[in-house]
Amino acid sequence: MWRLNKVRHKAGRPGDSVEELKLKRREHEKALRQARRDRQLVSKRLLLNDDEDQSEITMDTNSGEQDVVAVLQKLHHSGPERDTHLKALSKALRDPSAQLTFIKQENSMHLLVGLLTGYDATCRLQAVRCLHELSHSPHTSVASACLPASPYLLTYLSGQSTKFTELCLYTLGNLCPDTVVKEKLLAQGIVPALASCLENQKHNLAVVEAVGFTLSQLLQANDAAEKIIPMVLASSLPSNLLSVLTPDPKFGLGPAIECAWCIHYLTCSMKDHRVLLAQGALLQCSSLLVSLGGAVAEGNKEEGMELLICPLLRCVGNLLSSCPLTDLSAQMGDVRIVAALCALLQAFLHTQPALARESAWVLNNLTAHSRALCSALLTLNLVPGLIQLLPFSQGINTMILRVLANIAHNKKDFCVQLAHRGLLSALCATLKMADQEMVTLSMNVLFMLVVSSPQVAEEFMKQGGLSLLEATQYNSEGEIRRRATHLLEHHLLS
Amino acid sequence: MTSSFRDNYNQNIKTLHIHCSFLQTFQKTMLQPDLVRLLTEGHVLVKSCDEYCLTGNTQEPRQSEGEEGEEGNPFNFTPQLIHLNKDHQLFEDGDIHRHMYLQDLYISEAEDKPTLSVSEFACHISGCSAIFSTLEEYEHHYNSLHRHVCCSCRRSLPSARLLDIHIQEWHDSLFTILSQRQDMYQCLVEGCGQKFSTSKHRKDHLIKIHKYPPDFRFDKTKKDKRNRQTKKQPQKDSTMDVVDDVCESEGVCEVMCDGLSHQPEQGESMETHGSEEEAACMAKSASTEEHADLNAAAPSTESSSSNPLKPGYSYRVPTNVCFGHGSVRGFRGRRGRRK
Repeated sequence: MWRLNKVRHKAGRPGDSVEELKLKRREHEKALRQARRDRQLVSKRLLLNDDEDQSEITMDTNSGEQDVVAVLQKLHHSGPERDTHLKALSKALRDPSAQLTFIKQENSMHLLVGLLTGYDATCRLQAVRCLHELSHSPHTSVASACLPASPYLLTYLSGQSTKFTELCLYTLGNLCPDTVVKEKLLAQGIVPALASCLENQKHNLAVVEAVGFTLSQLLQANDAAEKIIPMVLASSLPSNLLSVLTPDPKFGLGPAIECAWCIHYLTCSMKDHRVLLAQGALLQCSSLLVSLGGAVAEGNKEEGMELLICPLLRCVGNLLSSCPLTDLSAQMGDVRIVAALCALLQAFLHTQPALARESAWVLNNLTAHSRALCSALLTLNLVPGLIQLLPFSQGINTMILRVLANIAHNKKDFCVQLAHRGLLSALCATLKMADQEMVTLSMNVLFMLVVSSPQVAEEFMKQGGLSLLEATQYNSEGEIRRRATHLLEHHLLS
Repeated sequence: MTSSFRDNYNQNIKTLHIHCSFLQTFQKTMLQPDLVRLLTEGHVLVKSCDEYCLTGNTQEPRQSEGEEGEEGNPFNFTPQLIHLNKDHQLFEDGDIHRHMYLQDLYISEAEDKPTLSVSEFACHISGCSAIFSTLEEYEHHYNSLHRHVCCSCRRSLPSARLLDIHIQEWHDSLFTILSQRQDMYQCLVEGCGQKFSTSKHRKDHLIKIHKYPPDFRFDKTKKDKRNRQTKKQPQKDSTMDVVDDVCESEGVCEVMCDGLSHQPEQGESMETHGSEEEAACMAKSASTEEHADLNAAAPSTESSSSNPLKPGYSYRVPTNVCFGHGSVRGFRGRRGRRK
């Protein structure tokens, strides 16, 4: 069940033009950005029934409120047709105002929970469907109203019915972000429940995807680091998440995506990654990146691939920031990681510049303290490709220049090689960029190159470096002026 | 968060063995197909790279130690491990993409083309805030307005030769002495080679022989500069006459002093001179346009007219930097009337 098979435009109605869809999408995007700025970025997933398609969702449902009341009454009274009524109820509950109406009806949740836990399996399925619709509500009152169902939902996670388990999981996942509900769920043991669910159903990728989603919702919480993450790290979840990271070609990317995001939330919230490193997180994520990089370099850019690449990049980047250097070779056996990152950089530069930026960040962390990886960039002739990316702004060129600076920091022979690959002339241009950070970095790199060998200094002079530096002595920033003067007086003119 | 450079320095590692067979294959220039092969070939490659050890940094003593300990070395780059938390700005776009997907609003590449931005260039000369979208525009700006600037009086001349002549005639006392006895005023036209006893004679020569206009901007006499008007220019279109009313002296890019740097005010004359020039503040755009005029061969005036320049840009020449009389580099002229 790979969701991207059907590209859904939830916001749109059938008959919307392409332009209208784009507009609505842009509005949603704006709302999401604002939510992120407010640290309230939360999403809910809606699982469609297999027999439904998109058009049903967008159908006018303003009769939903009356339907709810009517159906509820029927439910209170009827016997054998309950599952039909429940189906009708779940359809009615698509409508947000109907959801509110439902919770206001006396004993409505009590009834639903009764059906959820009753003897009729079909009714259980339909009841959980209704709960799933309710969980999708944006109103906190609805989320809290669903609390009576939560212990049962958790209990059912150890069941064997795939569809049912999935619905329970997505319902829990949708409810998680609500603070009150989350507190209750944690107390009721959601983390151990998720852990054993994943442990027991690793083979069932639909369930894996659902567990991943629910866990990611928990881990995204702003206070996750104190309350949730320690519990998660102590469980079997990390190792199981890592084991399902490699995507299954038949099933699709969904499960891997969710699990990768979980690991990302684990790594970015903490600075101490010993548990994850011990379980081979860095190794697993980086080798996956190598194979994805290879696929991308070959031109096999599967749709949605960036949804998996992004969290993997972040995991590697953050894990590197705390991986002791002595462990680096054990944790990162394959130096092709640098080639993979360069491939990703180039492949996604125009379509997903943010991904290019994140790849560059990972390269920085890789090269910061590893001479061998710096050497690999040179030996594999990846440096010219990096230099070509120096015109691109919004964080890309500054990060790439850092990478080049990391290489240059390894002194003489690396500097000479960098100079031979055109870095000097590139610096003559980057020194003139508007971005002050680029100018500062450029000065630093220039210094390292020029002092590395007389030949490089000479080459720099040949390229008009002297007048460039003289002009830099009139730079509006005092720090830059000082550096230009220092370079001239101590290294170029003396 | 980061291990320091010095900690790594002490670690023990094997150096990279370039003899590794897989590397030999790739020592020549690596093209994209090679990159693909590298990434898609199997573990055979990895195995043959057992010696491709990744730990630590080289054991060789670093020559850098001298530099780092060097007095007053302002360069301070150290590699940094960067940890990014969940809410970091760098992660914003990726997060949004993820949530759009969760909400069934995923956009495939074909449908959505984000715009990639390219860095702009800026003139960093203190006081100049011009921004350009291409390097060429920047170079044109810089070469036109900042390259040949007289250190003493901060006038900008359009070429090295004219700057040389300016310095000689305005700031060289030796010239003043010698010119009383011999013909020292050179013809401004390159290749002509003639010299004259006074600037008036030269001017006449320029008008008569080389058909120059009588008010050629780069041939003002020294005493003219004292009678500068102090009113500010409105933006005008660039005809020489119009601008000429307004700008008295060499006119091109009056580069004025301001109280910019933290340098102590040693050069009094520079200072007073500065304020004099500040009073004679001129619209930069006006001066840029007129200058662009002079360079008849200059490709375009777009950069000058479209730049969002503030009027009267200025900068202070650091007192300790001046490249000496007769040098052929950027800013020229003696230290002026100090000392």
